[in-house]
Amino acid sequence: MIVAGIDIGSTTGKAVIMIDDKIILGKIIMASIKPAQTAMLAIEAALENAGLAAQDEIQYIVSTGYGRLKVDFGNENISEISCHAKGAFHTDPEVRTVIDIGGQDCKAISLNAKGGVLGFEMNERCAAGTGRFFQVMAKVLSCGLEGIGSPDNISPTPATISNQCSVFAESEIISLVNNDVPLPDIITGINRSVASRVSGLVRRAGLADKVVITGGCYANEGLVSALENSLGLKVNRLPVNPQFMGALGAAAFAMERFRAKSAETQTNMEDAK
Amino acid sequence: MRSGLKSEVFEKLAVIAGSISNPEVVRWKQQGGRVIVYTCSFVPEELLVAAGLLPFRIRATGSQSAGRADDYFEAANICSLVRHCFNKILTGEYQFLDGCVIGGGCDANRHILDNWEQSEARIPFLHRIFFPHSSGNLMAQNFRNQLENLKQLLEDHFGVKITNEKLQDAIVLCNEIRDLQKSLYALRKVDNPAITAAETISVIVAGYSMPKEAYKADLTLLLEELSGVTMPEKKPVVRLMVVGPGHDEPSLCDIIETMGGAAVTDLTCYGGKTLFGSVREADPDPLQALADYQVIDRPLCPKNLDAHPIINREVMNKIKEYRVDGLIGQSYLCCETWSGELFVLQKELKEAGIPMLRIEREYTSDSLGQVQTRVQAFIETISGGLL
Repeated sequence: MIVAGIDIGSTTGKAVIMIDDKIILGKIIMASIKPAQTAMLAIEAALENAGLAAQDEIQYIVSTGYGRLKVDFGNENISEISCHAKGAFHTDPEVRTVIDIGGQDCKAISLNAKGGVLGFEMNERCAAGTGRFFQVMAKVLSCGLEGIGSPDNISPTPATISNQCSVFAESEIISLVNNDVPLPDIITGINRSVASRVSGLVRRAGLADKVVITGGCYANEGLVSALENSLGLKVNRLPVNPQFMGALGAAAFAMERFRAKSAETQTNMEDAK
Repeated sequence: MRSGLKSEVFEKLAVIAGSISNPEVVRWKQQGGRVIVYTCSFVPEELLVAAGLLPFRIRATGSQSAGRADDYFEAANICSLVRHCFNKILTGEYQFLDGCVIGGGCDANRHILDNWEQSEARIPFLHRIFFPHSSGNLMAQNFRNQLENLKQLLEDHFGVKITNEKLQDAIVLCNEIRDLQKSLYALRKVDNPAITAAETISVIVAGYSMPKEAYKADLTLLLEELSGVTMPEKKPVVRLMVVGPGHDEPSLCDIIETMGGAAVTDLTCYGGKTLFGSVREADPDPLQALADYQVIDRPLCPKNLDAHPIINREVMNKIKEYRVDGLIGQSYLCCETWSGELFVLQKELKEAGIPMLRIEREYTSDSLGQVQTRVQAFIETISGGLL
């Protein structure tokens, strides 16, 4: 059985192909203003990595992410909350809390022992606590996202960032820069500020061990460290690239759907005999 | 979302609900009729009907901006429904008005009065009535006195006599309409109703925007048509109830139904919250009957200090009556009245094992992508079988 999951996020597009239980990741595609085009590029990259010639070899496709409704070649769309939960649980069945920090939003998802979603929380409207916030801060500090996420920039004396609004926090950081506050102190302050906001969402959704982080911000060592401090629990990394977790969850759903559909067809055929 | 309903009378009501001025208002005005706008469901329409006026519930249908209104509001914590409504006033969409009664359900409403008086938009009759913030006979008497005062002001300004007989007739008419609207709501108790939530909102909103007798006739006809519609069997879907302040547009219900759920009922200020019981008919003191209804029988607004147990009870009743699987608590940013109420309600529902999703939004249908994701995930979570 060959199925696929496509995650069209606000910043990137990703696709995962599953051939029976084998998982093949595609590439990270920068999202364009045309979600359908991003989806096509994402699935083509995954097809190439899977060594498949054409999309019609895929028997079921589930789309997710902000652009999920625009993937016109998909069989079904499922919300990214369900898909991130599914992907994380599929990868590690001990997961009970998923923190997904994407380009434009962040989510906290609480799971039960069967992988079902018990509750979830999302940031509303504002870009604080999202990848976009880090992008803005990296630009102000001229250090790139690598600098924001580097373990070398974790400081024991973080600056206090009181504003969580990315617009106001930007001016606050400019003030810190002009007061000669060391860069690691500012960066650690930024990561703590985001971690504080995200931790609130996680507690509202329901915090339980084991905690994992998905989405593009998983690579930020300083953020993970700040989250661990704030939550009082280890924040784990998954063995599969966490940025693909939405697409992987979508592919896992696609596999379940296709198997159920095949079983139903089989039953109908036997009944007809 | 449309059900596929083919009905001329529905199309007529949808047109009325889809804009501020509408053919019924134009006709009323051409016949010399006068229109009075009011801002809260606690303003008794019956009194305005008895004065021979067309009561028009304020709304901001189709608004995309509150830019001109924002110049007036002193405080930033005014909800966007109020700002968008006042913007419509400033941009001249309510030019057909002959007066306005502001209801003091929340402080944001009161700001309309303050700003209207300061603005370039002139109105010949502008009055505010104060609502008691607790129930009981003493407060009902207080409210009756205010209605007596409003009655006198309406008589003086519009040159009419509001007799007890006229008030009693208006009470009967509004009760009849309320009963018809309850029947319309009851249609969504089944798995595949002949009318969707979004269509129901249009029908209810039209009732606030046209003469009552004409509306009663149209609603009666629509219900007759709907009773003859046979819908195919449909696989049960997640059934949701919406709770919160006034929503005069159907975008949330559209999202619920597009994402595979069903919006089966609500407790909101333009909808289900106005369909509570009936006003006593043939009371020798009809003003007291109206006051008792608003203050004692229907204290379903979080502005009332003692309203919470009643809101909770009504929500629980509707959950059973409409087989509700989950609630969506929708409020506007800065709506302090409902924010606290929904917080407490969510806590209590959680203890009762009923899931609730909170959505805070602006009046315009912005950020719908995120709302869509959250509603879809909520439906998926409830449906369980998905996971």
